[in-house]
Amino acid sequence: MSGVRVAAGQGTDVWAHEGPRLLADLEHGPGLAVHRRRSIGRQPWPTSGRELAELLEAVDLRGRGGAAFPLARKVRTAAKARGRPVVVVNAAEGEPASSKDSTLMLLKPHLVLDGAQLVAQAIGADTIHVVVPGERPSVQAGVRTAMADRADADPVSMSLRQAECRFVAGESSAVLELLSGRPNLPVTTSRPSAVSGLGGRPTVLSNAETYAQAALLARDGVDVYCSVGTPAEPGTRLLTIDGDGDRPTVLEVAHGTRLAPLLAAADADADNGLLLGGYHGTWLPPAAVADLTVSAMAMIEAGAAIGAGVMLPLRAGVCPIRRTAVVVGYLAGESANRCGPCKFGLPALAHAVRDLALGAVRSSARIVQLMDAVERRGACHHPDGTTRSIRSMLRECPLEVEMHLSGSCTAAAVAVPAGAW
Amino acid sequence: MHGRRGRCPGWCVVSASTRAPDPARQQLTVDWQSCDGHGLCAEILPELVHLDEWHFPVVQRAVPKELERLARAAVVACPKLALKITKP
Amino acid sequence: MLSNVVQAAGLVEEAPVLWYANRGSGFVLLGLLTVTTVAGVLAGAVPGSREWPRAATQAMHRNVGLLSATFLALHVVTTVVDEFVDVRWWQAIVPFTSGYERIWLGLGVVGLDLILAVIITSMLRHRLGHRLWRGIHVLSYLAWALGTVHGLAMGTDAGTRWGVAFAAVCTMAVAVAVGARLVSLRSAPPSAGAPKANPVTTHRGMP
Repeated sequence: MSGVRVAAGQGTDVWAHEGPRLLADLEHGPGLAVHRRRSIGRQPWPTSGRELAELLEAVDLRGRGGAAFPLARKVRTAAKARGRPVVVVNAAEGEPASSKDSTLMLLKPHLVLDGAQLVAQAIGADTIHVVVPGERPSVQAGVRTAMADRADADPVSMSLRQAECRFVAGESSAVLELLSGRPNLPVTTSRPSAVSGLGGRPTVLSNAETYAQAALLARDGVDVYCSVGTPAEPGTRLLTIDGDGDRPTVLEVAHGTRLAPLLAAADADADNGLLLGGYHGTWLPPAAVADLTVSAMAMIEAGAAIGAGVMLPLRAGVCPIRRTAVVVGYLAGESANRCGPCKFGLPALAHAVRDLALGAVRSSARIVQLMDAVERRGACHHPDGTTRSIRSMLRECPLEVEMHLSGSCTAAAVAVPAGAW
Repeated sequence: MHGRRGRCPGWCVVSASTRAPDPARQQLTVDWQSCDGHGLCAEILPELVHLDEWHFPVVQRAVPKELERLARAAVVACPKLALKITKP
Repeated sequence: MLSNVVQAAGLVEEAPVLWYANRGSGFVLLGLLTVTTVAGVLAGAVPGSREWPRAATQAMHRNVGLLSATFLALHVVTTVVDEFVDVRWWQAIVPFTSGYERIWLGLGVVGLDLILAVIITSMLRHRLGHRLWRGIHVLSYLAWALGTVHGLAMGTDAGTRWGVAFAAVCTMAVAVAVGARLVSLRSAPPSAGAPKANPVTTHRGMP
């Protein structure tokens, strides 16, 4: 597959491969003129929230940020709710192992911005906010240029904001807090943002890739959109695969494609297991990965969730218990430190998993007790995401867990950093 | 509901978390970034609230009718206004 | 007027009832407000136990506070109604407007205004939100101090030994409670964590 190197700054380069829809014609660059040429002869955009929702429902377009919420439902709710709507494009990414949104904003910003304009005009919004990652500075520069190039032609005004450098920065409520002038941290919300979000106004907040998919749908029409993918899940999605190569790979993949050959193309394999869904993901053993296809439904049946499409294969010789201990230690350090169960529970959980990794405990009871204590408590799903990888590790790696409980580990020693948390 | 076939296929994360367990009853919720673990809610309403090992409340969401008055008292007592009760 | 009625009723020779009520309520008020303030500090600082839960300290704070408010009302009304000193009703609400002992009475009036604000915001707590409520509530310390100074400067019994002793005990109680609270707040752990170094490069550096 042909690919381009995407430099997002500060050591965050990735390889992006050419794809069928989103990442098509990469060699022509991200400029506005090229983008406009591709849109010549496109269908007219829907003029109302209802019309747009029907178009989105025709392909069951789901959010690509991890929650997989139907975009049509957000559009319908915001179009009917009281107050002038506002649109937010969430490209903050948050999860360090994910690079798809940064890649999309650098290579195809106009596709994302078209999608945002499409939704904004249909629901009658008067502003679009685009939020980009704090730790990838060239993304902000690229998006600013793209916005300036099209400022005259766009009916709805757009503004750009940089998120803080933290794991939870991309969480929906955290993004709205940032835009409201408060710290970029999650909060408990009593009503969905489509009803009352930014400043109490109906807010459609969705992942950058979701808007790009909506723009493709509006440009090409339902039939062409459904010509790739499966009947139940038409279209494509972006994946980030972090294999053995010198940098991660971002791929655009049609739903229904087998995962194993994709891993190979990204210099990776799942012979030692795969963490599917990033740091908040699920461990899958090699056997489960062998026949897996890129499909949200197939992954649920396999006991995982595709989330934001991050695939982290475990390198050969690395112990999954130790790797999980490092991941949990990192996640504990990324707590916003505002909600008691997360602030105290996650570090305690990190210690407990680390003790298991070091072979220092004879029972995993404490880990289970702590997981039950932190789940579903807190303003966001950070604790739930953290326990997901631990639960799947206990379930899928029983032999390794047994070995560690008796004080040994056969895999090559991966140093658990002493000061990691 | 949503989905092309007119029903949720069940893999929508958000709808799962907002489904109310018992829509007929008043619901108790905690505003987590305000809660400081003072523990007055557990003192007043031990039937529905107990404290975890870090002194933070574990709350049973649905409020039985006979405990509604005490639940309101717990809401009023919270020094940080972190306990909320919603009508059915 | 009331003293005329009492005189006419033949109860006493000369009956400065209002003045006695004013002095008495002022004294009791110092005690009640001290208890209210100390209970308020303890409710937040001292963990509850099975025998004495935090909710009990909180209830005591609220109830003694309302009792204080009753005595405060009595204190203000007796001042205004008593003809011996000329204080009109608005001079009891707007500070530093009375002809009689402008400064010391004025301080007492400021204390009254602050306490009124505290009571009203506490009753509307759930509507105002925590931050606004707390911002006003902290002024109760000032109200307590102003009331004490008002009493020591103007109080008829302020010159007596037991009067001074009572004021000293109350002041010490509040000082100790507030001091202990400040110490415990300073040693509390930090709250929201600051953003870390670039998480992306941290991730790539991980094994």
